[in-house]
This record gives sequence, structure tokens and C-alpha cells, in this order.
Amino acid sequence: MNKQSYWTILAMLLLTMLLAACGGGSAEPVATQGEEETGSETSGETAEEPESTSGESEVTELQLMGWASSEAENDRLQEVIDEFNANNPDLNVTLNLVPDYDTKLQTSLAGGSPPDVFYIDSFRLPDFVAADSIEPAEGQLENVDDFYPSLREAFTIDDTLYCPPKDFSTLGLQYNKALFDAAGVEYPTNDWTWDDLRAAAEQLTDEENGVYGMVVSADFARWIAFLYQAGGSVTNSDFTEMTINSPEAMEAMNFYVGLVEDGFAATPAGLDSGWPGEAFGKESAAMSMEGNWIASFLNDQFPDVDYGVVQLPAGPAGEATMAFTVCYGVPAIGENKEASFRLVNYLTGPEGMKRWTDLGLAMPTRASLADGWTAQYPELEPFLAGAENANPWQFRPGFQDVLDTMNDGLQQAFSGTLLAEDVLSNTEEVGTEVLNR
Amino acid sequence: MAAGIREQERQDRIAAWLFLSPALIIFAIFLVIPILFALYFSFTDWNGISPPAEASWIGLDNYQAILLQDGIRRADFFKALKNTTYFALGVVPVQTALALFLAVVVNQRLLRFKSFFRTSYYFPSITSSVAISLIFLFLYQKSGLINSILSGATLGLWEPIAWMEDSRGLIHIILGWLGVTLRDGPAFFRTELLGLTIWDWISGPSVALSGIMILNTWTTIGTMMIIFLAALQDIPTSVYEAAQIDGATTWPTFRKITLPLLRPTMFFIITLGLIGTYQVFDQVYVMSSGGPAKTTLTVAYMVYRNGFRNSEMGLGAAIALSLFIIIFILTMIQRRITGSEATD
Repeated sequence: MNKQSYWTILAMLLLTMLLAACGGGSAEPVATQGEEETGSETSGETAEEPESTSGESEVTELQLMGWASSEAENDRLQEVIDEFNANNPDLNVTLNLVPDYDTKLQTSLAGGSPPDVFYIDSFRLPDFVAADSIEPAEGQLENVDDFYPSLREAFTIDDTLYCPPKDFSTLGLQYNKALFDAAGVEYPTNDWTWDDLRAAAEQLTDEENGVYGMVVSADFARWIAFLYQAGGSVTNSDFTEMTINSPEAMEAMNFYVGLVEDGFAATPAGLDSGWPGEAFGKESAAMSMEGNWIASFLNDQFPDVDYGVVQLPAGPAGEATMAFTVCYGVPAIGENKEASFRLVNYLTGPEGMKRWTDLGLAMPTRASLADGWTAQYPELEPFLAGAENANPWQFRPGFQDVLDTMNDGLQQAFSGTLLAEDVLSNTEEVGTEVLNR
Repeated sequence: MAAGIREQERQDRIAAWLFLSPALIIFAIFLVIPILFALYFSFTDWNGISPPAEASWIGLDNYQAILLQDGIRRADFFKALKNTTYFALGVVPVQTALALFLAVVVNQRLLRFKSFFRTSYYFPSITSSVAISLIFLFLYQKSGLINSILSGATLGLWEPIAWMEDSRGLIHIILGWLGVTLRDGPAFFRTELLGLTIWDWISGPSVALSGIMILNTWTTIGTMMIIFLAALQDIPTSVYEAAQIDGATTWPTFRKITLPLLRPTMFFIITLGLIGTYQVFDQVYVMSSGGPAKTTLTVAYMVYRNGFRNSEMGLGAAIALSLFIIIFILTMIQRRITGSEATD
């Protein structure tokens, strides 16, 4: 009997523990909110701020979710938000930079409790819009025309602007001055053409010393710049048909793959690197075509590399580059949409945008801030100038399949296992399927 | 007296359920319910972004897209299935054989530093898979350690390759040596079967996938060795003594006594290996993201890719369930082959 009562007590104990654990579910939000507050207290310079406002009852809590970038950028963003909080006593914004961002955002949207403002990459936007997850920013923003047209276009779907650009990057051509000097090649200029690029790459290649003229990656997001320079396009303007299997695209393909085939360029993996920036930093490639993110990377990892930046060379159809940009989105099911747009307007407004981009790592998306920025960072001017002839990196929902097909195709074309025309026709086929879904 | 026993039994039963309940509740919340949800979503067009309640029922469309309809989804599914199958065919036999070999070695009574060997062989299994994958990424670089060792061992004959960027299939490479290529091979190479050409089907694992296979084998051997070791130590010494008296030497003893007695363990190990290899995800996620040229795209990775990259959670769920059915069937077949006495 004694033994049995012991069992019963034990079982009861287990049950109560379980029930307690289940009951904890409802109390959880309160607990995490407390955590967030203490989190911002310890991390932020506004230690007193939440306390001073917590006395008032009308403070609306907002959460801004994004992915972490460099420490300098994370700190700067926190500062901008602290300033916003100080000027808006009725709002308290918490910055939440998370790892594995896409998964986290997607589950929080599907779970019905999304952050009030969050980052969206232009390439992912169509998927979110197709799911009706984003509140259109049309009519909510100040001075929309000040944003570069190419960046507005990146977040416009069916004539509706969904979210304002946070900052942006364009592709430019980086060149290693020491390697150019050693090979006796003149530095690139903004007026370079494909032929100049190819000739320089050939002269700079020194296989014995493991130096290639250029590092190119099997990436649609790089090759596409050449496609536009050749006068080609991915789809027609209303996204009903693929136009990628064209003579212009073939020309871009031959040029890009030709650099590798002829041994004037190598892939990052061929140069023991994870991405082109690393190969460029290791000085195993004299040129690379990356965005302005490469500047802070080189500063951090390879501070001794002396390099310059010019705009991408012009192709048969003239100059073109790509703009990669991220915006601040507001969820359609958000509870504080009006407050969220106030925050978005501050962050992308002249004042907030200036504070954020003054760091020199991100570029202002407002044309009115361009002059001030280039005065401060003249060496990065070619990236900003790219905004004038940049194409947005945004297509249709489900375009990831097309991107994958093209990347695989480029990879195989580089290794010689797939012909350039097959790469294009495969991509056309997959793209047609995606557009017709 | 009889009543007392019955009462005792009744209480025992209640106690048993109470003890089981925590595990059962957790099992239900984290496994049964999600599996049922996945089953439901596999019949919907849920994109994984909008609230699940908005997903609409589309019947068998998802299954049709991956199994019947001509298109990228079916091609990808069968490509992933092909890769995963090559992965399993390569890893499971090697893993089992090596684990058994190691277990026999560390089971030797005369071996010195036994615990050192046991520990070091088991070590990879308890180390974080992500950390190991990152280290292997460096080893597999073009100027990485593995290429250096290979070229050293072959006196420079080995051409360094960037392992994780090499999409050539091993069988394709061997066929190439024999002078068989797609360009001048027989016409049936180009015949399409389930979205892939025959030539694609017979590619073998790519160099990149082989790299992950080697890593996977290395990390899983330890656990399997421990299981074999436990089974080996379970075999009564009297059996060996009897064999010794009958004059059996080492090899016949191993073949006629050790192996048959290990059969249930062997079944268990192979089952574990099959399930593990068909679900391989983390190493692909860290090392290659399915590339180069989709040659390391595994079924499990494709589930993730469709759910979180392509916004096709419903399709992802359908792939996941198809994977479940495939693993289930394979285990059944394997049970037949390994013999019924193993299941006792």
C-alpha cells in the first residue's frame, strides 16, 4: 500500500508539472515582453528610455525584425531607432535582428503574429504579395518621387508600391591596383566596354602565379547585368512570356562563359574562396563585379588591398547594372499599421535615411541625399551612380525555380558539360512553366 | 487473495499509463499532430506565408506535380530521389561494414589502449554536425588538405579539384575514361524517363555528393560501432569455446558464429542507416545548399527548399510524405531480405 501511494504521488506530481507547463503558454507573451525590455535596456544606450515611458499607459510596442549585418551597421540602426523612440514617446520600437531570417519571418506571418515592420528582399517580394501578406505602402509615404525610380520599381507589383527601399547596392567593377600596375595595364574607367574588360582580363591573367584577370560566379544575379548590357531581357514587360532565349542573351552568355573557357577568369571555388569578394581580397583575381558590400568586407578582412571601383563596362546595348535592395514591409495583418508606417517613414525619410547611410556602408535610396553621400564617400561614387541605369532584381512569384535552373546551367556551362544554348532553353522552359502557374 | 492480485494488476496498469503519459503527450504534440497537419497540407496549396486557414484544398495536385506532370517539379523530385538513392547505396554498405570491422577490432581482448580507440572512433558521432561540415568544407577546397594528400600519395598525378563545386557524376567520369560520352553514346541515353534522361539517371553520385557521403559515413560509423560492440559482447563466450574445441579458426568462427548471431543487430543498423541516409539534410544545408547543378539536392533538402524558399509548403509536405512512404517501403523490403528471424 505504501508503495502504491508513492506511485500515485509521483504520477500526480508529473501531471501537475505538465499542466503547469501547458498553462504557462498563455503567460508566455508577457514573459517575453519583459525579456525584450530588459534586452533593450542592456544593449541600448537608452537605458532610461523604456522606464520613463512605461509610466504612461498609451505606449505602443513595435517590433522591427531584420537580419544581422556587420556590427557597425547593427549599432547604427539601433541608434537611429533610439532616436525615433526618443522623439515619439507614444511608441517604443524594439529592434530584433534574427538569424535564419526567412524561416523566422515566414513562420511568424503564417502564425498570425508577425513583427510590425520587417525587411523584405526585392526578389522575395512577389511571393509575399501573392500571399497577401504585405500592406501596400501606396499613399502612406512621404515624398515618394524622391526615391530612385529603379528602386521604386523593385518594390512595385502591378502598379502598386508595396514598401519603401531601406537602402540598396548596385554592381560595380572592382580592380586591384597593384595587379594592374604589375601587368602594366591601365586602370579601368567608367567608359569601358566588354572588349576592354576582356582584353584587360587576358593581360592580367598569370596562371603560373595563380592570378586570374577576373573572378566570376555561376550566378544569375551577376550574369543578368551582361544580359541587360547586351540588350536582352528575362521576360517581356508584363511577365507573360520568357524572352531569355534570345540572340542578345546568347551574346551575353558567350561573353561571360567565354571568359572562363579561355582561362581569363575563374570561379570563386577555383580560387579557394567562398565568394568572389574573398578571391578578390586574396589577390588571386584582379577584378570582380560585386556590390558595395565588398567595400566593408575588404576593409575588415583584407585592409591592405589597394583597389578602385568603376561602373560596369558597357555592352553592345550600352550600360546597365543591377540594383539589389531591401525594403521595410508592414504586414497586412499587423495590429499597429499606422504606427508602423510612422516608423517606416522615419527610417526611409530624409532624416532617418541620412543617419543610416552616413555610415558609408549602405547607400541612400533618396536621390536628394546622393550629393551629400558622394561628397563623403567619393571612392564609392560609381556604385551610387549605378542607380541611374540599374535594373530591379524582382520577377514573379516562384521565380526561385528559374534562378536555380539558370545558376545550375551557368555552373555546367563553366565546367563545359552544358552548352550555352541549352542553358538558355532550359531556363526558358522552366520560366514558361513558372509564369503559367 | 485473487481480488488483491487483480487490484494490484489494475493499479499497475494505471501506474504504467501515468508513467507513459509524459512521453505520450510529448509524442502527440510534437510528432503525431504535426504529421497529421503535414498530411492535410499536402493536399492544399498552402504557401507557408499566409495563415494556414487560408490554404485551399487542391486534392492530389501536389502529388501529381511531383509524380506525373512533366515539369521542373517532377524533374527536381526525381533528381533528388536519384541523388538520395546513390547516397544511400554508397553510404549504408560502407558504413555497416566499417562499423562492424571497427567493433570487432576494439572488441579484441588483446588490444591495448582499448578505451582510447573506442573513444576516438565514437568522437565524430557526438561532435556537432554543422561544425564538422564547416571543417570539411575547408578540407575539400582546391588547395585543401585532401587534395594535397591525394597528390602527395600519387606523386603529383592527382589533379586538385574543388570537390564541393564538381558536379560530374562518378559513373559519368568512369564512362568518360572508357570513351563513352553523351555526345557519341547510343541514342537511348537521351530518352527521358520521369523527367530525367537515361544519361542523367546513370550519373552516379557527383564528386560533391561523394564528398558529403564520405563525411556522413565518417560521422555515423561511431554510433553504429557502439551498437555492434554491445551486440558482440552479448555473444556468450561458451559458443566461441565450443567452436574452438571443434577446431574452428578465426575466419570460420566469425562467418559461422559471429555474423549469424549479429543478424538482428545488422537489421537494426541497416534500417537506421537507410532512414538516416534518406533523410540527410544538415550536411547538405551547410555545405552545398543542393548545388552544384542540383547534384547534392536530396529529398529532405527539397522539402525545406520548397517550404521556405519557393513558398510552396503544400508541395513540400507532399514531398515529405512521399519520402516517408519510400522509406517505409524500403524498410519493408530490407526486412524481407535480412530474413524474418532477425525481426524476433
